[in-house]
Amino acid sequence: MKHRWLSVLLMLLVVFAMAGAGFAAEKPVKVGFVYIMSGPFATYGQFAKQGAELAIDEINAAGGINGRKVEALFEDSTGKPDVGIRAIRKLVYENEVDVVMGIDSSGVASAVAPIMNELKTPLIITHAATPDVTGTNCNRYTFRVSLNINQNIAMASKLAAKLKAKTWTTVGPDYSFGHQSWEYFQKYLQPLKQDAVFLPKDQVAFSPMSTTDFSPYITKILNSKADGVLISLWGGNLIDFIRQASDMGFFDGKREVLMTLGAATEVLYSLKDKMPENIWVGTRYWFAANDSPVNKAFVDAYMKRYNVYPSYNAHGAYAALKAYAAAAKKANSVDKEKIVTALEGLSIEVPVGKITIRPEDHQAVTDGVWGQTTADPKMPIRTLKNIFQLPGDAITPPVSETGCKMK
Amino acid sequence: MEGFLANILNGLSWGMLLFLISMGLTTVFGVMGVLNFAHGSLFMLGSYLCMQFVRWSGSFWMGLIFGPPIVAALSILIERFLLRPLYGRDVSFQLLLTFGLMLFLDDGVRLIWGPAYHVVAPPAILAGVIPFFSQSYPVYRIFLVILGPLVGLGLWMFFTFTRWGKILRASAMDRQMAEIIGVRVPILFTGVFAFGAWLAALGGALAAPHQSVGPAMGERIIIESFIVVVIGGMGSFPGAFVGALILGLLNSFGTTWIPDLQMALPYLFLAVILLTRPRGLFGGEA
Repeated sequence: MKHRWLSVLLMLLVVFAMAGAGFAAEKPVKVGFVYIMSGPFATYGQFAKQGAELAIDEINAAGGINGRKVEALFEDSTGKPDVGIRAIRKLVYENEVDVVMGIDSSGVASAVAPIMNELKTPLIITHAATPDVTGTNCNRYTFRVSLNINQNIAMASKLAAKLKAKTWTTVGPDYSFGHQSWEYFQKYLQPLKQDAVFLPKDQVAFSPMSTTDFSPYITKILNSKADGVLISLWGGNLIDFIRQASDMGFFDGKREVLMTLGAATEVLYSLKDKMPENIWVGTRYWFAANDSPVNKAFVDAYMKRYNVYPSYNAHGAYAALKAYAAAAKKANSVDKEKIVTALEGLSIEVPVGKITIRPEDHQAVTDGVWGQTTADPKMPIRTLKNIFQLPGDAITPPVSETGCKMK
Repeated sequence: MEGFLANILNGLSWGMLLFLISMGLTTVFGVMGVLNFAHGSLFMLGSYLCMQFVRWSGSFWMGLIFGPPIVAALSILIERFLLRPLYGRDVSFQLLLTFGLMLFLDDGVRLIWGPAYHVVAPPAILAGVIPFFSQSYPVYRIFLVILGPLVGLGLWMFFTFTRWGKILRASAMDRQMAEIIGVRVPILFTGVFAFGAWLAALGGALAAPHQSVGPAMGERIIIESFIVVVIGGMGSFPGAFVGALILGLLNSFGTTWIPDLQMALPYLFLAVILLTRPRGLFGGEA
């Protein structure tokens, strides 16, 4: 008996669902997002979701994309490549999304980018920074609107060249992102500062992402002869590292410290006044770095809605949606192939500044921002002084260096 | 030399946290035969509750005193209403249940406290640093290094000299016999499960000022605790102590000397132990 009731109920549900679909004037444009929504890096997913929802509400309030409402679906990659792949397949095959955006970790990005050719769906990366996905592993459907490792480290090297430190070491996460950051830092800094010395592989520190006790790594760096440290840790790892390193005298001014992702507001809001001052920190977007009307409108709207300053990850999701909307307008369609063509070479002004997506490798040419942490009694978090900003053209390596052969 | 000493302190302070977690894990396993996958989540919950009490009262000690008993109380409910119906069944039911509990608790704290990281300051008296050769070393870590053996000593005295401790050991050795001579095993099980949870939460509360409080903070430590328990011998208390020390020191010295192998070291050591002493360092006869 029970089973019969259940099947009747199910049939009713199906009928209602179909009727519901029929009533809708037009199908919405479906955007699938894949971010880290759980675990030690979950705040990044949360900020991204906020940025995405703000952009979608703005787009819908202005009449949607080509007259159609935008609808968002969020999936959790948990930071693991296989989960990320499953999430994207589900979004494309089950939910039939028109475009996929997001991806936090380089590990996930490297795994999912190659399958976009098979799924024939555009993917706009908004955070993951590995050069591969717009380099040796580039493909027709994969785009990136955010800064990649090359651009971020090119800026770090230009900054490091001006500092006194001569002997450099690194602390980074023990996967491609940490290792590639260190590799590019050496490659870019050496020609700028010929007398720079880099510690050999067994003296630098790469910690697994699951690390919560960083003291052995801190001790190792403290006892090396390095006077400059490049730190590419991020998320919860960076928070734990900074707290424990502060206690052990790491930030006593005896060494120059560059944190490639230190200006993430996810980190700054967690640490508040525990974030040391006068540390050089990089980011993909800093809310106070420019006062263009587009940026001001974004920061004000974000602040009003969520009562926090937007992080670079919130900005990434916001910018990706705006770029997609612009491409859809240019193509006058959300057809996947037409969107790809429209995204290639697209120039659009987003809060960080004007970005241009290169048609040859699908990497956005976007400005980089670094600055030094400083306390401001008016601010709930550490803010930046001595902001060091370079235009995208100056920090983006030419396409010929990326190794991209578009397939 | 200073690097060597710093590594010893680093290893010991991590080892002491591991010890508290493993102690609860091994007691619950030894007496009840339950492998509790949710143990790391109880550790995490202890951290969050400590943070919450610090927010309310401004004092870390309040968090340390009041957080862990709440976790213990919760685990009494878990044992009574969820675990107890499964004792007669296959072990896989317990594993599934505790695994499910882990997911439930991990998502539960995210619902209540959000996904962000929270920072708990150590109490004022332990907040500073002491000079350590040309560098400095945080007092709080030294506090952990001292506290670990003290808790261990307290537990050892409890198990050796008190009536309850003896009943516990007797039940761990032979559950049926204990029941025959009149030990009320159901109540004992509830007590043991709550005690294990209290230890995990105590570890969590102590970890709060040392690392950040965030979802999934139990993941790393629970895996290492399982290794500690196996290395030391399932259900062995001295084994948990020695195993935790070994793992802590492997972690700190491994990072300095053989960075490429550092992640694999605990597992390699585990493999060696399993091959040479399958019951662990302090494991007795079956």
